[in-house]
Amino acid sequence: MTIIEDLSIEEKLTILSDSAKYDVACTSSGVDRKGKAGSMGNTAACGICHSFAADGRCISLLKILYTNECIYDCKYCVNRRSNDTLRTSFTPEEICELTMQFYRRNYIEGLFLSSGIRKNPTQTMEEIYTALYLLREVHHFNGYIHVKAIPGADPQIIEWIGLLADRMSTNLELPTAAGLKELAPNKTRKTILMPMRQIQRGIQGDFGNIQRIDGSRESISKGEPAKPEKEEENLEMIPSGLQPSDLRERLLYQDDEEMLSSVKEHRMVVSSKPERKQFVPAGQSTQMIIGATPENDYQIMTVAQALYRQYDLKRVFYSAYIAMNDDSKLPAVGTKPPLLREHRLYQADWLLRYYGFEAGELLTEEQPNFNVYLDPKCEWALRHLEYFPVEINKATYQMLLRVPGIGVKSARRIVGARKSTVLNFDALKRIGVVLKRAHYFITCNGKMMYQTKIDEDYITRRILELDRRKNWELDYDVTFKQLSLFDDFCGQRAK
Amino acid sequence: MAENQVIYLCEDTPDGIFTAIYDAWAAHLPLERLSIQVEYLHEMQLFADYVYVQTNLDKAVKVARSVNGKIGRQAYDMIYNASLSYEVDKIDAVYHFLKLGFCYGKAVVDMHGQDAVCRVFELKRNVWNEAHSFREFLRFHDSDEGILIARIRPKNQVLPILADHFSDRFPEENFVILDEAHTMAVFHERRKQWYLAPLDKEVLEGIWHRKESAEYEKLWKSFFHSIAIPERANYKCQRNMCALRYRDYMIEFGM
Repeated sequence: MTIIEDLSIEEKLTILSDSAKYDVACTSSGVDRKGKAGSMGNTAACGICHSFAADGRCISLLKILYTNECIYDCKYCVNRRSNDTLRTSFTPEEICELTMQFYRRNYIEGLFLSSGIRKNPTQTMEEIYTALYLLREVHHFNGYIHVKAIPGADPQIIEWIGLLADRMSTNLELPTAAGLKELAPNKTRKTILMPMRQIQRGIQGDFGNIQRIDGSRESISKGEPAKPEKEEENLEMIPSGLQPSDLRERLLYQDDEEMLSSVKEHRMVVSSKPERKQFVPAGQSTQMIIGATPENDYQIMTVAQALYRQYDLKRVFYSAYIAMNDDSKLPAVGTKPPLLREHRLYQADWLLRYYGFEAGELLTEEQPNFNVYLDPKCEWALRHLEYFPVEINKATYQMLLRVPGIGVKSARRIVGARKSTVLNFDALKRIGVVLKRAHYFITCNGKMMYQTKIDEDYITRRILELDRRKNWELDYDVTFKQLSLFDDFCGQRAK
Repeated sequence: MAENQVIYLCEDTPDGIFTAIYDAWAAHLPLERLSIQVEYLHEMQLFADYVYVQTNLDKAVKVARSVNGKIGRQAYDMIYNASLSYEVDKIDAVYHFLKLGFCYGKAVVDMHGQDAVCRVFELKRNVWNEAHSFREFLRFHDSDEGILIARIRPKNQVLPILADHFSDRFPEENFVILDEAHTMAVFHERRKQWYLAPLDKEVLEGIWHRKESAEYEKLWKSFFHSIAIPERANYKCQRNMCALRYRDYMIEFGM
């Protein structure tokens, strides 16, 4: 490991953004905050992208690592200890300068700070805290901050950071505990779920009873926690030997001496808790790598659903594995990243969050993977033609949402418009319904748009015709418009 | 013989448009005989009577107030944004929308079965989407005096929307945004209310300058390149999300 001290800021930026680029989330969404005199910045709940990189992904935040030094050796990670790459770190002041100067030129919406682990998780989080504290309290930055929670860090430092950040995320890394054990020897599902649970409680206003490093207990919250503690933390439903996680449990990786000393060091830099009340107002997210381990889509969606339900996550991100590291337990270097699969998972994820679907409706143990040729919603509709066609002027909102070609916005507009008018196909088109898809499944005033058989094979063939070119490009040419239907990585645009 | 069409001609600003709506409303003309057009966009017709509207702030405020009060804030936002559109039929659409609005009240905004409602909705959406794109893609440069300066070439008159956004975001900065397409500019002095001013083309070009030593522009460019994942290269998607017409003034695309 080559650690270089005297790099220029440009060289550091290149190295530490290059090593941060595999992190998926770049969203700046989830919180509306007005600007205020004496500060710089505001935030928009819809999120704002500022550019699009050559891979078509949105650039919303200054996405960098604090350091790419790392004591861990996770097999899938480019920054793993055993890789021979240039290592460097920012100083807190450098991070502030870059953020402020990029922000005032409207290049970015804020900062996304992640990090390798230099000595131990707590010490790294403390350095991150120092940077964020300076940014918020000295530079008066009022824009968006997304920061990673490093599993194994002292709960207190996570709490302090959460008072400065808008969003926090803990990487789930791999969909199952078994995969994690195989590829990330220094991490366990349990240590990953601990900060996730802590952040969830913090968002609910309950910081209560966090055991401090010095052994004291401090209860900040008043009243009952919003959610009773669950005994089982099994995200996968399928038993996997997962232990119940508990915030109060001791951390796994370091002895107390070491942690205590690092806390003291940190106190010398910035010793005060921020005088802020809002904890992670834009919520928390996570991400998992797809295609490095053999889980099927059903397992992945089940885990995602459990995360949304048990941890109130705002988003789960899926990251097609890019084979950069040589290892017998991983796909061979240069294996094509499974982009179409990732795309289908995002589509299905949207169905869970906004369309009222359950993972079990989309996939089953018998049919555990998404169809490559059809989007999950279409696939569902074709397997359930008994519900169709639906009458646009009568169907419930929930049913409208299940029609291929009708999205959340058009469904709302339909419900609003039909109070005063009887809708016809022309009005639907202007509302934004994709009729070339939807017309197989709907009637207006009892009539279909064309004479169409309600027949699975027939409609499937027609829709495949519509999608063939797009899917082919997705898989073979890698020139697809990422998540065209669901507009994913970027802040949502008005449609 | 049928009576002539009456065409009101007004200035292309929300105030001018609202004044014209006030005057036309007072004239009680049947909808099919009335049209309101932006003066400089209009091609004169032979068999039409013309009324030239003098922009009047009091009348404009009255229209804004009664729309807000009787049809609601949402309807007002719709017609205000639609009136910033570059489309020539915008004022007629807004006028027809208001006819419905004063009849049905705030329910009008959901009446997508009505042509006028659909049209105003489309106009508003188009203006709003373009404004949003500039919120994303506009780039400020440092001038020698430490003023932030940006230029854009939008289809619609998005400056008021951008001014609200950036003055909230940068209360402590002095900034100028130049709209080269409509030759006007918005000026924001720190901690003060922004204002909009039409400019001559020469004046506008005189204002535009930026500092030569552009350290952060260089840093931004290297970040822009290092953050992309080569294995996922996808220029088509990049172009879909950030159309070429926005890139002229985006430094990362090589200005």
